[in-house]
Amino acid sequence: MPYFNLQLTPNQGLVANAIIAVSHARRVALTALQQPVPNAISVRLLVDTGASHTCIDPSVLQSLGLTPTGIATVNTPTTGTQPQNQDQYDISLLIPGSHPTHFPLVVPNIPVICAQFLQAQGFHGLLGRDVLSRCILIYNGPAGMFTVAY
Amino acid sequence: MALEKELATYKSKLPELKDSEGKFVLIHGDQVVDVYTSYEDAIKEGYAKFKLEPFLVKQIHCVEQVQFISRFADPCIPVR
Repeated sequence: MPYFNLQLTPNQGLVANAIIAVSHARRVALTALQQPVPNAISVRLLVDTGASHTCIDPSVLQSLGLTPTGIATVNTPTTGTQPQNQDQYDISLLIPGSHPTHFPLVVPNIPVICAQFLQAQGFHGLLGRDVLSRCILIYNGPAGMFTVAY
Repeated sequence: MALEKELATYKSKLPELKDSEGKFVLIHGDQVVDVYTSYEDAIKEGYAKFKLEPFLVKQIHCVEQVQFISRFADPCIPVR
């Protein structure tokens, strides 16, 4: 089973470098229309078991030239008791394995929620339980490491 | 928020869609295109049929599922 094994960061905990691009489906449409495909973007994602869904900062989504293809009802500490409808965007996600021979964690078409203020906290998004549900997550506090197997 | 027309269509058609609970519906304007087993199939069909025009892919739930984010993050304005 491929995996990535990373050090816990002192202040932020479980942070993984990832590559985000337009979804495979959107790439096919752009290519068919002979429109340029935006370059993939390197991002830092916080592995967050407190997020039921993966979230991405709007600055990243804007760089990919995306338009919404979904709507989610979202509750955060800032929405109070009333959940809010929020735009979703389809992207592709790649997280490299720990070893060059490992397959990376790849999700070619995944809906993500646009969420502000993440970049100000030192990362570009939250890797939520929608992705983690496909994985085994090990938090090794004494070793200062975490592992995600997929 | 974008896709307001499509969301209104989803809400109005939800009684007819309730037998497809958990599946993914593709909506363009006031038209329900089809229902798909996976998100992947629905989003591929959306781009294949409508290219870069607005369309909505939504998982069908009779009771709307709320996504919880415990981190301090705000729902944001459209990125366009």
